[in-house]
Amino acid sequence: MRMRVALTLVALLLAALSAGALSVGAQAPPIRIGFASAMSGPAAITGEGVRWGATLAVEEINAKGGIMGRKLEASFADNKATPGEAVSAVRKLADVDQVDVIIGQTHSGACLGAMPVVKELGVPMVIEACSHPKIRELSGKGGNEWTFRVALDDEIMAYTFARYMARQGVKSSSVLAMNNDFGRGAAGAYEAAFKKAGVTLVSTEFFDPGQPDYRPVLTRLKRANPETILGVILASDGAPFMRQFRELGLTQKVFSRGSLASAEFLHQVRDNPKIGDGVVEAGYWVVGLDPDWDKKWTERYKVPPRIHGSLAAITLKWAVVPAIEIALKKHGKADRQTIRAALKEVDVKDSPLGPIKFDDHHQAWINMILIEMRDGQLRILERLQTSPALLN
Amino acid sequence: MLQGLTLGSMYAMVAAGLALMLGVARLINFAHGEFFMLGAYAFWLGYSELGLPYPVAALLAPAVMVVFGVAYQRTVIRAILPRSWHVQLIATLATSIVLTNLAIIVLGTQPKEVPTALSSRILDVGGFRVAWQRLLVLVSSLIIFWGLHRFVARTRTGRAMRAMSQNREACAVVGVDVQRVTMVTFALSSALAALAAALVSPLFNIFPDMGTALTLKAFAAVVAGGFGYVNGAIAASFLIGLTEALAGSYVSYAYKDAIAFLIMIAVLLWRPQGLFGRRIGI
Amino acid sequence: MRRAATLVLAAAVVAAPWLVAAVVPRQQRYVLHVLIFTALFAALALSYDLVVGHVGSLSLAHPAFFGVGAYAAAILATRAHWPFLAGLLAAALAAALVAALVGVPLFRLTEHAFAVGTLGLALVAGIVANNWVEVTRGPLCITGIPKPVLGLPGGPMVAITTLPGYYWLALAALAAVALLYRRLTTFRLGRAFHAVRDNEPLAGAAGIDPLRYRMLAFTIGAGLAGGVGALYVHYLSVMCPEEMTVALTVNLLVIVFLGGVGTLRGVLVGAILFTALPEFLRLAPTWRLVIYGALLLLVVVRSPEGIDSLLRRATGARPAR
Repeated sequence: MRMRVALTLVALLLAALSAGALSVGAQAPPIRIGFASAMSGPAAITGEGVRWGATLAVEEINAKGGIMGRKLEASFADNKATPGEAVSAVRKLADVDQVDVIIGQTHSGACLGAMPVVKELGVPMVIEACSHPKIRELSGKGGNEWTFRVALDDEIMAYTFARYMARQGVKSSSVLAMNNDFGRGAAGAYEAAFKKAGVTLVSTEFFDPGQPDYRPVLTRLKRANPETILGVILASDGAPFMRQFRELGLTQKVFSRGSLASAEFLHQVRDNPKIGDGVVEAGYWVVGLDPDWDKKWTERYKVPPRIHGSLAAITLKWAVVPAIEIALKKHGKADRQTIRAALKEVDVKDSPLGPIKFDDHHQAWINMILIEMRDGQLRILERLQTSPALLN
Repeated sequence: MLQGLTLGSMYAMVAAGLALMLGVARLINFAHGEFFMLGAYAFWLGYSELGLPYPVAALLAPAVMVVFGVAYQRTVIRAILPRSWHVQLIATLATSIVLTNLAIIVLGTQPKEVPTALSSRILDVGGFRVAWQRLLVLVSSLIIFWGLHRFVARTRTGRAMRAMSQNREACAVVGVDVQRVTMVTFALSSALAALAAALVSPLFNIFPDMGTALTLKAFAAVVAGGFGYVNGAIAASFLIGLTEALAGSYVSYAYKDAIAFLIMIAVLLWRPQGLFGRRIGI
Repeated sequence: MRRAATLVLAAAVVAAPWLVAAVVPRQQRYVLHVLIFTALFAALALSYDLVVGHVGSLSLAHPAFFGVGAYAAAILATRAHWPFLAGLLAAALAAALVAALVGVPLFRLTEHAFAVGTLGLALVAGIVANNWVEVTRGPLCITGIPKPVLGLPGGPMVAITTLPGYYWLALAALAAVALLYRRLTTFRLGRAFHAVRDNEPLAGAAGIDPLRYRMLAFTIGAGLAGGVGALYVHYLSVMCPEEMTVALTVNLLVIVFLGGVGTLRGVLVGAILFTALPEFLRLAPTWRLVIYGALLLLVVVRSPEGIDSLLRRATGARPAR
């Protein structure tokens, strides 16, 4: 009796799996794109953005007839922002959903966990947001030939930003960073970059994202008295932070890296937009780079465009789609190998982020932009080109 | 520091509710932080979405949560109360998971902000600056605690609650309506959490996960204060809030969360029955 | 008949890589990956059940021990280049040591305080892992943890690099843990554990020192958890603080209590149900957590002995205590 129950369960399990594996042989099968991000857990907001952005972008492309007649199909997986789950997410996308290329993982820990697996499985992965400098080191020649990155990492941004700050005459700064992979990585990068640029690093503080109370750290900053503050902080934490910053009457100039100067922030402080005045942020994406996209997003999702969805969409449209086109033209098919080879040949001059061309380490040197927030408005102060020469 | 007191008030209001439930109903409610979270969202609904004036919205939140708290008591709690506390812990933990994730699905992960007039207005006294809202939190919490004390000491229900926390079986014998008193306790706990949320939300953000950390710190306070002893929990909460603020400012901002738990562990080790003794009482 | 059934099941489990390759060739790697996770979690759950199910101490500190073992193995492998087996042993010992150290003060507390105290420990451990960047690299994670190589220095070496290889390694670990679990929970030692769990004063009166037995279960459980941690990091090649959060405790509670607390089969069933099944069903992740919670709530209220006892009743077998 128990035997029968056990066998039935196993049979059901395998049946469920097989059902997923069956694919109907169509005329021209769709090209499958996998998107992995944090769909649950504390960082679920990023995964939601990625899902929205990807859905919108794929619909846009399919509405135009697909790529050379081939439609796109998006699959999603949850990496819960941890490396362990990222491995599961990649395997699910590769083996169960049979994707041809993956766009993800948004979070550095997840990226690092996923990288060995995409190599093992032979699936190209184009990283849209992970900012850990090690990823560049590990990708491309001499390393992982299957991972590519569109986003800039914190080392690149730190050196560029520190040089800009020094040019503005800044003599000293304190760093306030989120206590996660993003914040820690950035803080480390700025430490080195400030040194190189001749800016004194007065102190470094870390805070846990999502916690509401900045007064203790603001008190510490007040005591340390740097000339400026560099915040590695997202909009959702940035809003209470800036309110309490003003509450305590601090006057330092705030530079930021994250999403402090953003539409989200302005939405959160809409009762008093002047709270954000004067903040200068270094990033590579802001609302307004692609007004068409912004409009579509706002119409569909009723909130201002978000960085994580928009990056995934731009990566799809200006890195992956060109690669698929090259693959289809050259080989008549867009599968994992051909897409990977094609990615190496992508040379887009005018994406919303800037030029997309992967170097030896499969890194695209997109533009860094400086955004200033004033009177409830965001404006692009400067567009800085990046290149490997910066790091020397 | 005023900062620590504000934090302490918030922890205290939540911890008091938790201690009440523990003392009167012998229940460990891991979902209590979620009551706070839901109260905050109720407040947001009233204030931001419906445009109600601040005091009305601030009272709407506890009203909503009282209904919720009673519903929770009649369904889940009634089922687990006679069971072992293992079952209670896991059941309330499960409830916490369900509530948090439902909130993510229904309300979205984007944090909500509810700035009020008082949260932007700054009081500047000789270089010492503080938002009016913080003072409101502090003053309100003191009024609430005083009110709670009067309720427990003076009213029949209050005294019944105290009696129940000391000897539940005897109460049933003597004719105390145990069910009703339990219900009132729950209503009170929920209201306390919601009021705390309504007071504190203008200063901070509202997001689905906010209850989790709070539950744990409130527990730390309840345990350190002596299980079920409400005044002890309140005192311990202020201690934790102050230490957190001070440690965050002077020692290390990153480790300040650990401080609360280290205090709790330290207290437990030094006096295993809590700071104020094993007084199962209000 | 029962004997034959068990043997067939055991054979199927060992031959799983081939079976899976035959039945679902395109998804075999994914399925094997899930099976590896399941085996590791089952071992972890068994180590947890020793403390919760057999000695009756509701410890919430298990993620801390898992984390200590995981980080110890990760650091020894990447910085000190220790061989795999040595690192595994060191990881288990480190975790057991920590448990022994904190167990002494913790067990002086009453039941409720103990639970909350262990919870505090888990949280502090997580915070330390996240902030002690010099050692653990905090949120930047320890990367590049090498694949396990089994063997003694000077002798033949076997490197585990394929998924089936990992699967058998994990399975072997699970078998070892299960055997140890069986040994510890039956005969005199098991009876002593259960005496402490069921009626502590009586046990004390009968000459069984509750503290000693609780500490024993606690320390062994922690050591095993540390060992599983080591296996885990060698599989993933990356270790981040996110892997040792309270979410892990929730997972373990679900597996143990829904599966069948205090029974070997129950915990195994729980591990399979709650690690493998959700992956295969592929529900929307946030809904998955809601369903988990709701299930947990329902089952723990209606049938605290878990699904295992429900199954037993359904199939008419004798209780296996």
